[in-house]
Amino acid sequence: MAAADQSSPPPSAAPIVSLRGICKTYGATRANDQIDLDIAAGEIIGLVGGNGAGKSTLMKVLCGVVPATSGSILLDGHLAPDAHDSGAAQSHGIRMVHQELSLCTNLTVAENFYVEAPGAATLRPGWRDPYRARAAAALEIVFPDHGIHPDARVGDLTLGERQMVEIARAAATPGVRLIILDEPTSSLSAKRSAQLIAFVQKRAAAGLAFIFISHKLKEIIEIATSVVLLRNARKVWNGKSHETSVSHLIELMGGQETNARLQLPAQTGSALLHIGKPWSETPLDLCAGQIIVLSGLEGSGQQPFLHALFKGDNGTQRTAPVAFVAGDRQKEGVFPLWDVVSNISIGRLTGRSALGRLDLSAETNAAIAPSDQLRLDKSRLRSPILELSGGNQQKALVARALVSDAPVILLDDPTRGVDIATKQDFYRLLQDLAATGRCIVWHTTEDAELEHAHRVLVFADNRISADLTGSAITPAAVLDASFKAPSKAAEDGGASGRGLLRKLVASLPYLSLALVLMLMFNANPITASAFGLELLLKPAVALVLIVIAQMFIVGGSEIDLGAGAFAALVSVLAATVLPASTPLGLIAIATAVAAYALVGALIQWRQIPAIVVTLGASFIWLGIGFSIQPTPGGTAAEWTQTLIRWKIPGIPTSIILISLFAAIALAINRTPLGVMLRGFGNNAQAMRLSGWSPIRQALIRYTIAGVFAALAGLVLTAVNSASDIRSGDSYTLMSIAAVVMGGAALIGGVISPLGAVVGAVTLTLIGALLGMLSIPSDLNPATQGLLLLAILALRSLAARREDAI
Amino acid sequence: MKAFMRFAQSNRWIWTAIGVVILWVILSAVSGRWSLSTLSGIILSASFLTIIALGQMLVVTTGRGNIDLSVSSVLTQSAFLALVVIRGEDGLIWLGLLAATGLGVMVGLVNAALVIWLRIPAIIATLATGYILASVALFTNAWNFGPRVVAPGLKWLASGKVAGVPIFALVTLALVVATALMLGHSVYGARLSAIGQSRAAARLAGVPVNKVLTMAFVASSVLAALMGTVLGAYVGGAFLEMGQPYLLQSVAAVVLGGTLINGGQGTALGTWFAAILLILMVTIMQIMGLPRGTQDMVQGVVVILVLALAARSPARRGAKAAPAQP
Repeated sequence: MAAADQSSPPPSAAPIVSLRGICKTYGATRANDQIDLDIAAGEIIGLVGGNGAGKSTLMKVLCGVVPATSGSILLDGHLAPDAHDSGAAQSHGIRMVHQELSLCTNLTVAENFYVEAPGAATLRPGWRDPYRARAAAALEIVFPDHGIHPDARVGDLTLGERQMVEIARAAATPGVRLIILDEPTSSLSAKRSAQLIAFVQKRAAAGLAFIFISHKLKEIIEIATSVVLLRNARKVWNGKSHETSVSHLIELMGGQETNARLQLPAQTGSALLHIGKPWSETPLDLCAGQIIVLSGLEGSGQQPFLHALFKGDNGTQRTAPVAFVAGDRQKEGVFPLWDVVSNISIGRLTGRSALGRLDLSAETNAAIAPSDQLRLDKSRLRSPILELSGGNQQKALVARALVSDAPVILLDDPTRGVDIATKQDFYRLLQDLAATGRCIVWHTTEDAELEHAHRVLVFADNRISADLTGSAITPAAVLDASFKAPSKAAEDGGASGRGLLRKLVASLPYLSLALVLMLMFNANPITASAFGLELLLKPAVALVLIVIAQMFIVGGSEIDLGAGAFAALVSVLAATVLPASTPLGLIAIATAVAAYALVGALIQWRQIPAIVVTLGASFIWLGIGFSIQPTPGGTAAEWTQTLIRWKIPGIPTSIILISLFAAIALAINRTPLGVMLRGFGNNAQAMRLSGWSPIRQALIRYTIAGVFAALAGLVLTAVNSASDIRSGDSYTLMSIAAVVMGGAALIGGVISPLGAVVGAVTLTLIGALLGMLSIPSDLNPATQGLLLLAILALRSLAARREDAI
Repeated sequence: MKAFMRFAQSNRWIWTAIGVVILWVILSAVSGRWSLSTLSGIILSASFLTIIALGQMLVVTTGRGNIDLSVSSVLTQSAFLALVVIRGEDGLIWLGLLAATGLGVMVGLVNAALVIWLRIPAIIATLATGYILASVALFTNAWNFGPRVVAPGLKWLASGKVAGVPIFALVTLALVVATALMLGHSVYGARLSAIGQSRAAARLAGVPVNKVLTMAFVASSVLAALMGTVLGAYVGGAFLEMGQPYLLQSVAAVVLGGTLINGGQGTALGTWFAAILLILMVTIMQIMGLPRGTQDMVQGVVVILVLALAARSPARRGAKAAPAQP
């Protein structure tokens, strides 16, 4: 496979992309080793290989998401002048449909199409129309009669529907030349899979290139024109698909068709785990001394079953302690800050008193025996765990389970991405453990591992569809049982029934406002007059503006603890510099907004927590304010007051102002810019993959917020004819409360401008109402706090109800 | 040098300790004299901050950006509570401390319940409880509960000296050492670090996640409450804004000290040195005659700079991975 090997030239002139000698290492792990690959127009390349063979790394290199350690990438036969990055891959027409979906779930289908190809957007209302049309057309081409509305929120779609949207979006991208599909059929029904395959073949005939990654080898051989097989980071086979067969590929993948099935002694000890409904109609017992393998199609309920066993709930019962070995090492396995010993010895702490002493040498000694058993190098015990290879990290996790002495060990696909030698160590160890009376429950996605089982539970549709033991365990029997229950991975049906509850919770801020208004009108009818309302709502205008500023920050899943202080600083500038010289004052305020935006960019650039940075920034704003104006005072510039003092008879000016600002915020949120900001709040990774710059969005987000907060400062000074730098703090807290009350999710991406504004008005009015009811104003903060908690509690309970449905 | 860097990597407090020495030299130069009594004054002021910051550190170490925003309100309310309960009588100090502990436990439990059961983010939950406590403090302040005097015994604890060393500084040091031992050599310390690094992994490793979280929130509130009693005695009463400065400063001390803001690693010694460093900084600025505004600005800038500079270090650590293991 040398780079000079030109004996298999692509059919057309220069391939769309050529990879030459690609190597990629992650720390100690070699993920790609000297891989060459040519992708020509019209080709459908089937990329196969076991888990951890290096497929996804190779695709990441190809898409420019990660740089190759060495090797080169040729686009149309030319070496790219600059380093290959995601931008270069994008502009060359390379698109990837990811296994872990890269849609923004808070946006609609049409808006997701916009994010991928923002070129056609304008600032006019109705800018979504072309994207709606494009989305509908793209879906129709790939998946006829798909039934997905372009205005549906992606979060409301089923997994299969999202996959369809993603595929259609990649296929419809203008100028696309190569589409990489990663396990595209795994969440599609048979009908949709067939539609997809027909589409792929049709478009390939028209010159589009595809890379099709799948574990379903039969499917690959049927669709692909040629097959590339990776194993242990290397390319081991490359040829036309008619030159190979499923068994040939399995053999090449290291399927070890040894057939020398180990004769496992079928020991049975006491029953440690009891399983009932919903997993199995007839109760099952899992016993000591057994290796029980959980098999079936991926996602058929094996993992929920393991977690149920771990907790001992949901239809399972256990009579002995359990230990869990996670397969997803990064997410739920290793403790990245610790060395290997600490990572192992945490398993020994179960059940110990919190104040018990932790003796490092004792822990190290305890870790040595299992490390020996696992052939984990003792000299590495004090190394940081992340410096170990994936296989050795996994060994440490197994050692963690061993030191706990729990008789039941649950393993969640532990050999994922682990080399052959380590796997052999595992298999031997598991047999030893079973022989010493432990009960091993082992979820695997590798069919080859079935041969190490005493017993196999096959899962289909979240149920145990077969319970096989001894000689009954055959690949055919397992496969047969895997398809027993009709898979309900249907893309139809979906989110109905939750609508009502969600609507009720969403209307909470409005109901609160109505309640407060009602109580107020009742307590003092004068408040219902235009004059009364104007008096009550005047202080709300500034808060509304700060709340809008905070809302845009929260939309990026950050919180600004300096928003109030910043508004107060602008208020000070407006009361001191602005009346003296309008241009100078405006320059000062603009500089302040720029500084505010830079703080936002800094947060994004250094990836530091916004809460602490903005808390620090609030001290800077306060400090500047104090330096300019140590005591409250100053005057308002004439023109700022005229801006808020005009009148339309019969309507309180404050209401007009509040409505105006709310409308502006709403409009910004609806523009392409607002959609982009919401996209980042929801799925920053997906936005980056679509070619957006995170730092630029942070600058834009904080500029918008800064402008609103600065307006708040101007209004504060105009209303009070003076400024007080100390007034800022209470505004910060109220702004967060109002935004959250208004319906924003703190995980980001979901904001509601109207709700936030209504929240701000409600919080302002509560103070007035308490005064009217002659309740001491001291209760004001408590009422605000309780209201905030009540709304959040209701929302959280509603969310849990939704989970249950 | 290499040995030092290795030491510094696992003992991050050394940086703040060096900072303290440097600032101390600057302070001596600025003030023109080398006085141990100024140092003891600074360490005493820093002790108040340290106690709050130790609790804050525990909450920050639980990860997920958790911060306890209610500490300042707890502190204020507990200072009022001490006045109400102790009424200046030495014989009632025990009751006052008990009441403060009770307040802390209650607030901590409420915070933990909001975070765990209602899944409200810690900042919002503690923000809300802070609001509610602020109201309670307003009421207590308005309430005419009798003479606002401090018990002599408490006064002695807060500002007394033994052989020239402030008693409360010694108490604080003892607490710092205890916390450091707890973090590094106890089951709880390991569990706290575990949930801060990865809550999912901790749960699967058998760590009682909710219990560990609850204890962190309770510890933070109890420390703030006890601190309120002592600080009240130190300032000779209680006033509404007394807790306010401790919010940013406690977070700043935690971050400066080398505790990871994303959780998983806390350092008690670092927090202590950072508290001293912050107070030293303020003192130097006061001696230099810098106005209050400038002092605030400098503190803000320092916090942001430290965060921005420290941000890269975990990435760098990951990048220079050790040679491949066979």
